[in-house]
This record gives sequence, C-alpha cells and structure tokens, in this order.
Amino acid sequence: MAFMRDLSIDFCGVRFENPVLLSSSPVSNTGEMVGRAFDAGFGGVVFKTIGMGDTKIIHPAPRMAGYDYDARKLVGLQNVEQISDRPFKDNLADLVYLKKNWPSKVLIASIMGFSKAEWRELAVACEGAGADMLELNFSCPQMAVEGAGMQVGQAFSLLEEYTAVVKDAVKIPVLAKMTPNITDINEPALYAKKGGADGISAINTVSAIVGVGLDDLIPRPNVGGVSAASGYSGPAVKPIGLRCVAQMAGNQELALPISGIGGIETWIDVVEYMLCGAATVQITTGVIHYGYRIIEDILEGMSYFLEEKGYASMSDLVGRSLPNIVTPDRFDHAHQGIAEYDMERCVGCGQCHIVCQDAGGQCLTWDADKRRPVMDEDRCLACMICSFVCPVSRPPMITFRQVPGKPPVLPEPAVQKG
Amino acid sequence: MEQGFTMDQAVAEAARCLLCHDAPCSKDCPAGTDPATFIRKLRLRNLKGAAALIKENNVLGGVSSVVCPTCSLCQAGCTAEGLDRPIRIGQLQRFLVEWAWKTGFQPLCAGEPTGKKVAVIGAGPSGLTCAADLARAGHAVTIFEEKAEPGGMLRYAIPEHRLSLEFVRREIRDITDLGVEIRCGDGVGGREGLDALFARGYSAVYVATGAGQGIALDAPTRPADGLLDALDFLGIARDDPEAAAAMVNEKQVAVIGGGDTAMDAAVSAKLLGAADVYVLYRRSFTQMPAEARERDQALAVGVHIVLLTQPVDYLADGDRLTGVNAVRTRLGEADQSGRRRPVPVPGSEHVFEVDLVIEAIGMKPGPSASAMGVATDDSGCVVNTGPGGMTARDGVFAGGDAVRGPSLVAKAIGDGKAAAAAIAAQLAGGK
Repeated sequence: MAFMRDLSIDFCGVRFENPVLLSSSPVSNTGEMVGRAFDAGFGGVVFKTIGMGDTKIIHPAPRMAGYDYDARKLVGLQNVEQISDRPFKDNLADLVYLKKNWPSKVLIASIMGFSKAEWRELAVACEGAGADMLELNFSCPQMAVEGAGMQVGQAFSLLEEYTAVVKDAVKIPVLAKMTPNITDINEPALYAKKGGADGISAINTVSAIVGVGLDDLIPRPNVGGVSAASGYSGPAVKPIGLRCVAQMAGNQELALPISGIGGIETWIDVVEYMLCGAATVQITTGVIHYGYRIIEDILEGMSYFLEEKGYASMSDLVGRSLPNIVTPDRFDHAHQGIAEYDMERCVGCGQCHIVCQDAGGQCLTWDADKRRPVMDEDRCLACMICSFVCPVSRPPMITFRQVPGKPPVLPEPAVQKG
Repeated sequence: MEQGFTMDQAVAEAARCLLCHDAPCSKDCPAGTDPATFIRKLRLRNLKGAAALIKENNVLGGVSSVVCPTCSLCQAGCTAEGLDRPIRIGQLQRFLVEWAWKTGFQPLCAGEPTGKKVAVIGAGPSGLTCAADLARAGHAVTIFEEKAEPGGMLRYAIPEHRLSLEFVRREIRDITDLGVEIRCGDGVGGREGLDALFARGYSAVYVATGAGQGIALDAPTRPADGLLDALDFLGIARDDPEAAAAMVNEKQVAVIGGGDTAMDAAVSAKLLGAADVYVLYRRSFTQMPAEARERDQALAVGVHIVLLTQPVDYLADGDRLTGVNAVRTRLGEADQSGRRRPVPVPGSEHVFEVDLVIEAIGMKPGPSASAMGVATDDSGCVVNTGPGGMTARDGVFAGGDAVRGPSLVAKAIGDGKAAAAAIAAQLAGGK
C-alpha cells in the first residue's frame, strides 16, 4: 500500500481530497475514462470542454505530434484538437454519471460558448448536471471558430463579458482559463476578475510548431498536407507555466486562487507549481505519456515530501517561494563565486573544458596525461555551464561556491596574433 | 549473425556517449576509424557524415565493427565506464555502415585517374583496404587472389554465426564500386609472377598474402582420416555448410587450442550438430587468447572447455582417428608471453575417444610471399625495411598478417592504409 498523507486542500471554497486533477483535454474526454482516473487516485477532473454542439466540431487527423529529444520521447506534444466533438447531451450524461458514482471527487465542467446565450446555457446545464465548478475556456489556441478560444483570451472585454454572463447564471465557483500566448498574463486575468471569476487556471498550451517534415516540407502534425501553429504542452513548457503562475500569484491586485497547468509529470512538478502559488494542478501530457497510473507516484511522492519537510498540509506549500522571486535589479552583485569541482568523482570526459572554452570564461585547462580539467579560480565566471554538461550530476559533481570579496571576472581583450 | 542495432537503439546508445574532449576510443583503434567523431556526428543527427567518416577512415568499417575485439580496443578506455558501462561502439559503427547500405548512400568515390597501375596480392582485409585507398587516390588497382572469392580470413575463416557471407560480400562491393578489379584464382605465382607484374606496367605491388597456414600438432601419429586443420574446417563450413554438418553430425569432436579460431571451430561444430565438442587447452581459462565474448559463447552453446590438458598424440585404427592422447598440466612460471607456462604432470596420460579432431593451434604465413623472393624471417613473415610496409625490393610493399603473423583484422586494415599512403606518395614522386 502506497504511503499516504492527508493531501486535501481547499480551492475556491471547494474541498479537494488531493490537488491533482485531469485537465480539460483528450485525457478527460469521457465519463468512462475519467472514472478510471478517479479510481487511480486523481482528486478531480476538468472535463473535456463542452460546447452546445450547434457548431459542428470535427477533430483533424492526425491531431497530435510528439517532440523528442535524443532518445527521450515526448519532451513536448503538439495538439490541434479542439473542444469536445461529442453531442452535448452525452457530455451532460457523463457529468451526471461521474457525480453520482464518485461524489467525493471534484467535478469541474470546462465550457466554451460561441455567444453570450450559449455561455449562459452551458453554465446552467453543467451546474444542473452536478458540476462542482466551471472552467471557462478562453484559451484554446486552435479553435476553428471565429471569436472563440484563445481569441477571447486575447480580447479582454469579451473575456470579462462572458465571465460575467456565466457568474450571473450559476452559484458554483467559476475559473477562467488563461492563454500564455500573450505579453502579460496578468492583464486578461484581471479582466476575468472584473467579470467575477473566482479563480484562474493557467496555462493553456503554448502556440507552437514542433517540427517540419524534410521530405514533404509540411510541419507536424501533417493534417492532409498542411499543418497549423497549435497547442504545445509537456515538460518543455513547464518553465513557462511556472513563470505565469508565479506572476499571477504574486500580483496583489489579482489575489485569486490559481490552478496550475503545464508539463506536470511528477510530485516534484506539483510541489514546484504549489510553491509558485498554485493551489491545485492539472495534468494532460503526463497522462498522454504514461497513463493515469502516474497519480500513484505523485500522491505518494508528495506524502513523503510533506513528511520529510514537516509541512502540516498541502496549503502550507502554496506560494511559499513567491518571496524568493524578484526582478533582476534586486540581485546582490557582491555575491560572486566559483564553480567548485569534486575531482574525486570526475570521470574525465572533458566536456566542462570544451564548454568553458567555447561558452564560458576559459578558466579550465586540460591535463592530457591525467585526463582531468585544471581550474584557474580567478578566471572562473561562475556561470556554471560546466555543471550543466557534467554527466556526474546526481548529486552534482560541480557546484556553486560563494567566494566572499571575489570581484566579478571580466574577460581580457584578445592579444594580437604574431 | 547477431542482430544489428535499430535506429532507436543507436540513437539511445549515442545519447549515452560523453563526447569526450580527448576521446580514448579514437586513440585506441589500430584501423584509425575515429569512433569519437562518428558518434558525435550520429548524436547530432548527421548520419551521412557519420557513415562517410567511418568509410573514409576504414573502408572495411562494417566487418571490423563485427569482428573487432572492441572490448580490448576502442571500448577499453571508454569514459562512460566511469558512470556505468562503455558505449557499444562496434554496434554503433555497424549500424551506421548498414544504414548507408540500406539507404543507398555510397560516400566513397574513385579519384581522378592518375594513369598509374598498382597490384595488390591477396584480397584479405589488408589488401582490400590498400586497394580501396589507392583507388580513391585515382590509381588503377588490381587485386590478385588465389582463392575463389575475395575476403581472406573474413570470407574463409570467420564463421557465419559471427559474420555472414552476405555482409562480407556487401562490404567488398563498396570496394569494387570504386573500380578495383579483383582477379580470383590468380595468386600471381612466385618471383617470375612478381617480375611479370612490373613488366606489365604496374608501378607498385602490395603483398598481403596473410597468414593462412595452420600449424599442426607435433604428434608421432597423424591419421589421414578424422584429423583436420581449423582453417580447412571453417572454410568447408563457409563453402558448403551441409558438407561440414555431415562431418560433425552426432559425432564426438575435439578442438585443440584456446584462441579465437579454436572457439570459432568449436562453436561451428556444435551449431552444425556435433554431439559433444571438447576444446582441449593446455593452460587455464584466463590464459586463453580467445576474446572473452567468443569464449563465453562457446560455453553458452554447450562446448566443453577442458583446461590444463595438453594433447600429445593421436590414436588411430588404421587410417581412421579414434582418439586423442593427452596429459594433465599444472601452471608453472610465466613464459615470455607473460602467461604461466603449462607443465605436464607425469603419469597423467589419458585418452579422449573422439571421431574428429580439429587443430587450431596456431597459424603462420604460407609460402607464397617467400616464393616471390620477398625477404622473410624464420616464421615465414615478410621483413619490412621501411615505413608503410616498404620491403627491400623497390616498389614492393607488404603488410597485414603476412608481416605480423596472425593478428587483428584492424591491424591488417591499418597496415593497408599505411601502405596505400606510402605507395601513393611514391607514385606522386614520379617513381
């Protein structure tokens, strides 16, 4: 039996048995699928975005393309799928089914209307079907319908207006889901707040092109001879998601609870999102890669983490790292140092030497007899790129060491040759 | 033949490489194949560049990737071993060569014709390499091979389970595609043959006649039936596997020796249907000269390795061999090879009743080089007098096993490269 602590948390006034949800996507497409995710341990779901069905949705084929790095599969994933293509009544029936059979799990209905009337009707219907919360999809980057998805998220007055329509129609809490494909994510978030949103979900996928076929010259996915910039997700976008969540969580004016999304696969990712200000998190690509079973390791890993660090509850983590995020002008420039090498663990590959020569401060020479780097500490920039390429990395063989009083290192001008 | 890597396996293995600043693998290749650079090219998805580099450095990059004792050469100093295990360099090399074959990528081409003719005697790894490099430099090269097919040891001695004939033939095609002519069934002949080559306008000759003559056990009794040299047995197994199978099927077979050829013969005999195969070796397991993976494979297929056992004579019923007379040995002091010397134990004579004995005691160069008037030493090896395999006779070079005695394919390739460079330099000098 997996080790389990109380991981429950309150979010927008709703109690979650744990903060990990399926996000609105292919992994939350049907009641049958979500039921299995609940059994596996997910604390809730944001059900695949529901539309009225008056505007026909047809998913292209193929609809996704993976992004690999060396032998690592699916560092990122591009997906041109739109909102649910299922009949409205089937989606509602699935909401009823999920609420009836898993009453302790939090059921969030993601909705997208193509007019004010549709937004209102969808909101009321989903509340009636048993949804505990609503998430307003203002951020799908690949809607084929004019004035929908990300276009709403980029047109702030529309976003505020639709939020207000929904808030006026229902009693349950309402989340607004933000696109990162914008200059400052706080701007639309504040409009959502003005419209009455109770919380923010972010980020939706990053508009991207994962690659181009070198024989057919068609970007991927190749949808019948063409492609489209569309939603990119997975571990590659996690740093962008963390940044967006931290920016909103650190905004005193916004002050709304946040559901963090973007590249989450492990308990460490969840903890990082919570430290940056998220109170719940949502997962899609991790499930596309590994299946619902990842939830077991997320919950167990978080339980051990709380135990080890002595946190009383999950809410203790929320926003805990925000005071440590500043603007670069507040850095202490007297804080200088060196890259310190634990030479006993060095295997002698010399990658540190190569990158120090070509991208660093040229402080490493190479002892060819011993096959080991030799450092001139006075010339070390402490840029740490050597530690990024060093294969002896868990724990790192090369670490930063502060050297009090060390002046910043300024590379010298080139000496004339000959 | 073992399965080669898939693209997935190759990419994953290349991703493990540490891309060393001063890669030990590239320093330790006798053929100068430069693994560090081709692995980096593979890692950076420059597959054509990687395959081209292998072939430019070593035209027999395919067969050497399969037969080289990589564990004691390129992989021996691999830095990745400091983390867990060495990169499987041979497999990466093979993958790239086969990838080029599969995709129809031929990175080598013949050079601008110089009008000069060079003869190579012997179509083994050394001769083939020398010929290819000279053809790339624009010289017209003819290889004279006394056997029916080119390849030397690769073709006639290494068994199918290690290196398929199809693989050998495919790699040789890369060389004939450069315009190299291979005349099989023509061993040139002795001194007159060599003189005739120069008379016919050949400017230089590379003697690469190998070391393909088996050494026989010094036994008072040598039955005509049931006693075979390992090279003969392996040659039959290559040419006519059914005939070889008929020789060993359901039989008791003894193989004498502890080197790679002994392992090849023993494993082949077992795979061809021998009931029991005994490898009789006079020293102990760790002293066996065979590569560890060949030794291990012999054990894995069920060969019985009988250690500290020295055959002294054969038993016969008329012309037919019936057994091996052997003594036990103990290990004494180290000899000049650094291995402890086997000392017979008095009164330990015993008999292995077997139907067939395959002798894999050792090899030496045959008489063809010395018959050409090229100076040789007592063991029949050609004596070189200058760089690049230059011999005492002007315009005649020699290399590979003909000079070294039985040695590694990679070293024979290295010799062929060096000789080609020396010959090309001499021809460029107007000689």
